[in-house]
Amino acid sequence: MARKKRTQEWHAGELNLTAMIDVAFQLLNFFVITTHPVDVFANLDVFRPQPEKVITKQEETPPLMYEVMVYKDGFAMQKRPMGLPELDRKLEKIAGIDKGSMIVVKCTGDSTHAGLVRVLDLCAKNELTKISIFSF
Amino acid sequence: MRKKQEEMQSGGLISMIDVIFQIIIFFVCTANMQDNSRDAQVKLAVALHGKAETEKNPLQIEIEINSRGLLTVGRSPLTDSELYAVIKKAVNESRPQQVPVVIRADGRATHTMVRRAMDTCTSAGIMQLKIAALKEKGQ
Repeated sequence: MARKKRTQEWHAGELNLTAMIDVAFQLLNFFVITTHPVDVFANLDVFRPQPEKVITKQEETPPLMYEVMVYKDGFAMQKRPMGLPELDRKLEKIAGIDKGSMIVVKCTGDSTHAGLVRVLDLCAKNELTKISIFSF
Repeated sequence: MRKKQEEMQSGGLISMIDVIFQIIIFFVCTANMQDNSRDAQVKLAVALHGKAETEKNPLQIEIEINSRGLLTVGRSPLTDSELYAVIKKAVNESRPQQVPVVIRADGRATHTMVRRAMDTCTSAGIMQLKIAALKEKGQ
C-alpha cells in the first residue's frame, strides 16, 4: 500500500493593506511633527580698544580710518548725519578703494544694539572686516 | 484551526508595531529638542550679510543680554565680577586668542547694557569679540 506523501506547501503571506496604510500614516505624522526649520545665526567679528590706550585729541587719525557714529535715532559718518542707504553707499565706496580700511564704530550709550548690528551688517556686506567698537 | 491561529498571530504583530510607533511618536513629541543653553526671550537683530555660524567651538563663551540688560551665561545670571571671573578662568586655561566670546544681545537692548559685557571682556584680555545676529529666521 503506497503511502501518501505529505508535502508542505508554503504560501507567501498576504499583505494587510489596512495595517500598512496605518503605519504609513504614522510615519508621515512622525516626520511632519518632528521637522522644525532652524534659525541661522551669524557672527560678526569686532575688536575692542586696549583699555590702557587713551586716545587724545592731538592724535592724528590715520588716513584709512573711517568713523561711523551710531545714535539712538540715526547714524553719521565722519560727523555727517546720514541714513542707512547713504551709509551703505559710503561703505561700498570705501571698500572699493581698500577693503582693509579700518571702520571705527562709535556708539552712544542710549543707542540700541540693533543699530550697531545694522552697521556691522553693512560692513559685512561690503567685506570690510577691520571693525573696532568704541563707546562714549 | 491552524489558519485561525496564524491569523491571530499576525494580527497581534500589527497591533504591536502600531503601539511601538505610538510610543516613538510620544517620546519624540515630548522630548525638548531646542538648545536649552540659549534664552528664547533674546530677540537678536537681523544681519543678512554676516557669516553664518556653522559649528560651535567648545571653548566658546556665549554672553546673553536681554532687553532689560540682564546678563547671563548658559542661562545663569551673572554680575560683572562673576563674568570677569568666568572669562579670566577660560583665558588662563588657554590663550586669550583661543577663547571665542560671542555676545548675543537683544536688538532692543541699549549700548550701555552691551558695553558692560564688552568692557568686562576687554579687561579680562579678550580684544576680539563676536556679535551674534539672526541671519535667517526658521519658519
